Amino acid sequence: MAELRLTVNGAPRTLEVDDDTPLLWILRDQLGLTGTKFGCGVGVCGACTILENGKALRACQLPASEIAGRSFTTIEGLSPDVSHPCQRAWMEEEVPQCGYCQAGMIMTACGLLNEHPDPNDHLIDTVMSDSVCRCGTYPRIRKAIYRAAAEIREKKSSSP
Amino acid sequence: MKISRRDFVRTVALGGAGLVVGFNGRGIFAADAAKQFAPNGWVKIDIDGAVTLTIGKSEMGQGVRTSLAMILAEELEANWSRIKLVQASPSPVFDDLGTGGSDSVRDGWRSLRKAGAAAREMLAAAAAARWKVDRGSCAASNGAIVHTASGRRFEYGALVADAAKLSVPNNPPLKNARDYKIVGRRTPRIDGRDIVSGKAHYGIDTKIPGMLYASLERPPWIGAKQKRMEEEKAKNVRGVRNVMKTSRGIAVVADNTWATIKGRTALAVDWGEPPPDAFDSEAHFKRLELASRERGFITRKEEPPPGTAAVARTIEATYHYPFYAHAPVETMNCVADVRENRCTIWAPTQAPNRLQKQVADLLGITLDKVDVNVTLIGGGFGRRLGVDYALEAAEISRAAKVPVQLLWSRQDDMKHGHFQAASVHYLSAGFDAQGAPVAWKHTKAGSFHNISALDPKEVRDIAWYQDWSWGAYDVPYAIPAIETAYVTVDLPVKHGPWRAVFAPSSVFAREVFFDEMAHARNADPLAFRLDLLKGADIVKAGRVTIDRRRLRRVLEVVREKSGWGAPVPKGHGRGVACNAYFGHTYIAYVVDLRVNGDGHAHIERVVAAVDCGIVVNPIGVEQQIEGGIIWGISSALGGEITFRGGAAQQGSYADVAVARMRDTPAIETHIIPSNGTEPFGMGEPPVPPIVPAITNAIFAATGKRIRRLPIHPEDLA
Ligand code: FES
Ligand code: FES
Repeated sequence: MAELRLTVNGAPRTLEVDDDTPLLWILRDQLGLTGTKFGCGVGVCGACTILENGKALRACQLPASEIAGRSFTTIEGLSPDVSHPCQRAWMEEEVPQCGYCQAGMIMTACGLLNEHPDPNDHLIDTVMSDSVCRCGTYPRIRKAIYRAAAEIREKKSSSP
Repeated sequence: MKISRRDFVRTVALGGAGLVVGFNGRGIFAADAAKQFAPNGWVKIDIDGAVTLTIGKSEMGQGVRTSLAMILAEELEANWSRIKLVQASPSPVFDDLGTGGSDSVRDGWRSLRKAGAAAREMLAAAAAARWKVDRGSCAASNGAIVHTASGRRFEYGALVADAAKLSVPNNPPLKNARDYKIVGRRTPRIDGRDIVSGKAHYGIDTKIPGMLYASLERPPWIGAKQKRMEEEKAKNVRGVRNVMKTSRGIAVVADNTWATIKGRTALAVDWGEPPPDAFDSEAHFKRLELASRERGFITRKEEPPPGTAAVARTIEATYHYPFYAHAPVETMNCVADVRENRCTIWAPTQAPNRLQKQVADLLGITLDKVDVNVTLIGGGFGRRLGVDYALEAAEISRAAKVPVQLLWSRQDDMKHGHFQAASVHYLSAGFDAQGAPVAWKHTKAGSFHNISALDPKEVRDIAWYQDWSWGAYDVPYAIPAIETAYVTVDLPVKHGPWRAVFAPSSVFAREVFFDEMAHARNADPLAFRLDLLKGADIVKAGRVTIDRRRLRRVLEVVREKSGWGAPVPKGHGRGVACNAYFGHTYIAYVVDLRVNGDGHAHIERVVAAVDCGIVVNPIGVEQQIEGGIIWGISSALGGEITFRGGAAQQGSYADVAVARMRDTPAIETHIIPSNGTEPFGMGEPPVPPIVPAITNAIFAATGKRIRRLPIHPEDLA
C-alpha cells in the first residue's frame, strides 16, 4: 500500500492503493468515475480506454506503480458540455446501441484522430479492430470518425 | 397475487399530484382502477407539465426507451423534450415485466397509443370545460390544448388537476397515420447524450453505501467438487474480508474489485480432474448427427395434393450449427442487499419478475420483500433472461451480511454462459421428372432449455416443439409435400435463448439447402425463391401466418438494389437469403464477398430489405439491421464454443473471435413502406438470414458449400 499522486481530468488526486491495482479499478471503485468500463481486464476489448496526452491507453493494463505523477483524461473529462467533436459525431451518427462499449470507442477514436487527423478506412480498421462492440455499431463508428475528423480540421483551419 | 389499489396509488402518487393513466396489454385505466387491471406501465403528467412514462421493458441497445416514448408522445401530442422515462420495478401491480422475443414495440403500440390518446382527451375535455366551449373546437399540440378559434391555450400542467377528476375514456380516438408527427421520424436515442458523456448507469456502475465486492469461483463442470484451495493465502490478500462457500461456488468478498480478483487468484482452487464421461461437444455432435436421422416429433406435415408428380430425384444434406456464447461486453453482475427478511437487488436484467421470484424462493421470503431495480444493460441478447448471477449475489450477501456487488470476470462470462445450443439438421428434397420440387424434409436435432434456470414448461405439445424449431417448421416455400421434425438430445451444459432464439440454426440450414436445390436445378437462387413463393399469398404454419407477398417484395428490392445478376470479378461471389420472422418481420439480404487465396472470406457489402410493419423509428430499424448482420458475421467467421471435460474451452475475446471493425461490410438498408397496421420487433429478426446469405455467396465465389459453422479458412483455401 502506497500513496499515489496522479491527475485525472485535470484534478490532482492522492490515493492509497496497492502497487498492482490497475488504473481501471482506481477510476471506477475509488474515484467513482464509472464512465470507463470493464470488459475483459486483460487488454483485449478496449472498453477501458482513456487518454494520456491525447494518446489512447487501456486503463486495465496500467498498474498503480506505473502511473504516479501522470495525467489522464476519462470520458467524463473529455469535454465539460458533451461538445467534443467525437461526442457530437457519435450523437449525430446515432452510434450507440446499448452504449456500453462507446466510452472506450470514443477514447480510442480520439487517440486515432490525434495521431492521424485525416484517417482512411485502412487506418480505422487497424486501430479500431482492437476494440469490441457486441451490438455491432462499427459502421456508424466509422462514419462518426470521419465526421469528427472533418469537424476538427475545419476548426483548425478557421482558427488563427 | 391480489393487487392492492392502495399500493398502486401510493406508488404512483410518490411524485406528487398529476394525471395518471395506467395501461397493460388489455386496456387502459385510471390509477384507482388498478385493482382490476395489473398495469405494466403508466403515464403521469405533472402540474409542471413534465410527462413521466414508466415502462417495464429493459433497455439493452434495442432503443426501446426511445421508441416507446415516441409512441406515447405521438398520441399524447406531448412536447418531446418534456418526456422522462422511469424503469418499472416488479411489484404486485407490475407482474409482467420482461424483454425478449422482439415484442416490446408491438406491445407498446397497442397499449401506449391508447394511454396517450386517453390522457390527451381528458386534458382536452378539461380545457373545453374551463373555456365553456365544445371539445371539438379544441386541439392538442406540443404539450398544450389550444382553442382554435380564439387562440387561447392551456399547457398540460395547468389542466392535470381537472383532467384527473374525469373518467378515463375506454376507446379514445386514435390519430390517423397520415397525421403522425413523431412516429416514423428519425429520432435520436433518448439516452444518447448520457452514453457519450459516460453518465449512463449500467448494472456494473451501481454503488450503494456499505457495499463490498465479490467474485465467485464456480465448479468448472457439473458436479465438480473442490479438492484443495489456499484459503489462507486468499485471506491474506490486502482488502479481502472473507472467503465463503456457497451452494454455487466459493466467494471471495473484499473491499474493492481488484482485491476480489487477486483473492480469487490466490485461492487457486483445485477442482481435480473431470470424469471421463464429462460433456464433450465433439461426442455431442455425433449424437446429434445420429438423432437427425430419426423420425422425431413431427412439427408440420403437408400432404401433397392428389395429382402431385412422383419424386424422381432426391438431394440431401446435413448441416452443423455449433455452440455460441452471448458474450455481451458488460459481464454478468448484480448488487444484492439481503437483510433480515428483505432483499434489494440492482441488476441489468431482461426478466425482473423471474428474478424477483427466484430470489424470493432462494431466500424463503415473499415477493413483496424483494425489491428489484432494473438498470441499463450493456448487451442482453437473451443471456439476461437467466437470473443465475442475481441468485449468486443474493446468496453471497446473505452469507456476508452486507450488500455486495458480484462481478463476473470475462472468463466467468464465457465459461458459464447459457449457450446457444448446438444442433444438426438433416434436409432432403425431392424433384419430379420435370425437375419441379415436390417434397421437402427438415429434421432438426437439438436440445431444449431443459436445465437452464428459466421456467421449465410442463406440457410438451406441438406448440412446444414448434417453439424450438422456428425457421424450420415455418418454411415459407410452396412445395407440395412438407415434413418438418424435431429430435431432442439431452444437453448437460447450460443453454438458453440467444439473439433470435432458435431461428438462426434452422434458417441457416433451410436457406443454404434451398440454394443447393436451386443449384441442382441450375436455377438462379433468387429467381428460384421468388418462384416458390408463388401460389397462395397467405400460408399458415402452426401459430405463424406468413404473407408471401411481403417476402417476395423484400427479395425483389434486394434484387434491384444489389444489382443481382451483374457479373462479379473472379474470387468474388454474391449470395441471397430471406426469412419471415414469426410471420412478422420480413428480411432479405444480398451479400457480396471476396474469398482470398488463404481462404479468408472478406464480406464487402450487404444489401438489406426489411418490412417490419409500421416503422416507429427508422434509425432504430437501421441500427438493428446493422447490429444483426454483424452479430451474424461473428457467428459465421468465428465465435464457436467447444467443450472438453464438461467445460467450455474458450474464455476470452482473444479465443472467441467476435466481429471487429475490419470484418464490417458496407451495409445498405432499405425499409419497405408497409401496409401493415402495427410495428414488429427488430432486435432478433435481422440475425437468421445473414449467415446463409454469406455462405451462399461463398459457394458462388468458390463452388464450396459450407455446411458446418463457423467457416474455417482451411475449408476454402
Ligand atoms: S477491460 Fe481493458 S481492454 Fe478490456
Ligand atoms: S453499443 Fe453495445 S457493446 Fe457497443
